[in-house]
Amino acid sequence: MTKETFLHEKHVNLGAKMVDFAGWHMPVQYTSIIEEHKTVREKVGLFDVSHMGEVFVSGKDAMEFLNKIVPQDISKLNYEKAVYCQLPNKNGGLIDDLIIYKLGILEYLVICNASRIDEDLNWMVRNSKSFDVKIDNRSHEFSLLAIQGPFADKLMRKMGLNTQQDSFTIKPAKIAGVKVLASRTGYTGEDGYEILVENKHSEYLWDKILEDGQEFGIKPIGLGARDTLRLEAALHLYGNDLDENTTPIEAGLSWSIPKDKVADYNGKEVIMDQIKNGTAKKLVGLKMLDKSIARHEYEVYKDGEKIGIITSGGPSPILGANIALAYVKNDKEICTGSIVQVMIREKLHDAEIVKRPFVEKRNKIKL
Amino acid sequence: MSITEKILCSKSHEFLLDNGDNTFTIGLTDYAVEQLGDIVFLELPEVDTKYKKGETFATIESVKAASEIYMPISGKIIEINEEAVDSPEILNEDSYEKGWLVKIEATGDAANEQNDLLEYEDYKEELE
Repeated sequence: MTKETFLHEKHVNLGAKMVDFAGWHMPVQYTSIIEEHKTVREKVGLFDVSHMGEVFVSGKDAMEFLNKIVPQDISKLNYEKAVYCQLPNKNGGLIDDLIIYKLGILEYLVICNASRIDEDLNWMVRNSKSFDVKIDNRSHEFSLLAIQGPFADKLMRKMGLNTQQDSFTIKPAKIAGVKVLASRTGYTGEDGYEILVENKHSEYLWDKILEDGQEFGIKPIGLGARDTLRLEAALHLYGNDLDENTTPIEAGLSWSIPKDKVADYNGKEVIMDQIKNGTAKKLVGLKMLDKSIARHEYEVYKDGEKIGIITSGGPSPILGANIALAYVKNDKEICTGSIVQVMIREKLHDAEIVKRPFVEKRNKIKL
Repeated sequence: MSITEKILCSKSHEFLLDNGDNTFTIGLTDYAVEQLGDIVFLELPEVDTKYKKGETFATIESVKAASEIYMPISGKIIEINEEAVDSPEILNEDSYEKGWLVKIEATGDAANEQNDLLEYEDYKEELE
């Protein structure tokens, strides 16, 4: 049974093209992926991401429990702050990537990928045996709206957000009179907010944001542009760029992992070893040197030897070039500036290894 | 007579336009293009290449994915639409007169091979 968000009818009425994604019937585009992409980079866009999972973790051992299941140091996470995390198995392979928010002294919110919610919950429950903790999947109670783009903050302020909110913070707020949790996070490489709202208010809020956002040129944005936006920002997509056989170090996520965390956590031995001794494969960014497009699972070659595989690829509307993420052999000869080849329909096409992200955030805000 | 009254369509969404003299124009239907969304890449074969009915002769890519395009009848490529290769987005505007893909000379029993193609109205009805 395909699930529908509380905004399903809104999408259909807006003429969206609907597709199945992770068991949900979701809008992939309303008008054009490229147009929607540019709207988010230049103005502001509204996304329905209610398919994502919201798991509340509370109880006496909530912090210790979370500290056991992620490499990040939850003991250092302050009230109303958020941290990007991974959920490794015992071998360091990733079950999911997450954002964890501290909502109260003994209460945390975990946002997970829609496609991984069942695996995440199983894993959490299995790991919770020796902890006094309550794991409460409340995904069905909430809608999640993302407002992303250079005018996102102006729009949220116009709609009633009245406290200065830094990147990676979450606060209770009132938007258009509706009680929400406002988080200054996103998945586009732009400034923006993700608004957690009770389902019963989601339709009202959706309409009101589109109405109040008119003066900023707001448009509804589908999952198609969400994917091209995150790719330009070189943000990982679980299932493409991350999986249970890939560690966060291989995935280029070392920056997110504290080297001095005292507490033990799943996969710590492998992860710390890889930080010290390196990995066999590494994630790199590619820019195609012709008009061809590298896609998921295409092979990567250098000097006739297979060196890796594409995990995500597509056009970058901002660069006007085609870009990709790939895992390649971790060799110092294979680095930024190297020319490699991607096998596309039995022909090799040149690509250059380039720095990630492909498109820099232009609207940097204070961290 | 509008273009859609002159074409035949395949179930895999190619159109075939009879130009007389045993030559035909092949492209994608407006429905196919609308389903694909923004078209960003097009790969067409070289002139003089021969294909049988049902063989892949071209590849089209939207933002999200690559799709193959099949020959609605057997033929030899006699002309390709260079403008569509350079600016594949023209297919989104008009896939018939501006965004056609190739012209062919039929090499098989063209009349017989068109038996499983549909008139535009019937093709549209099948989609519903």
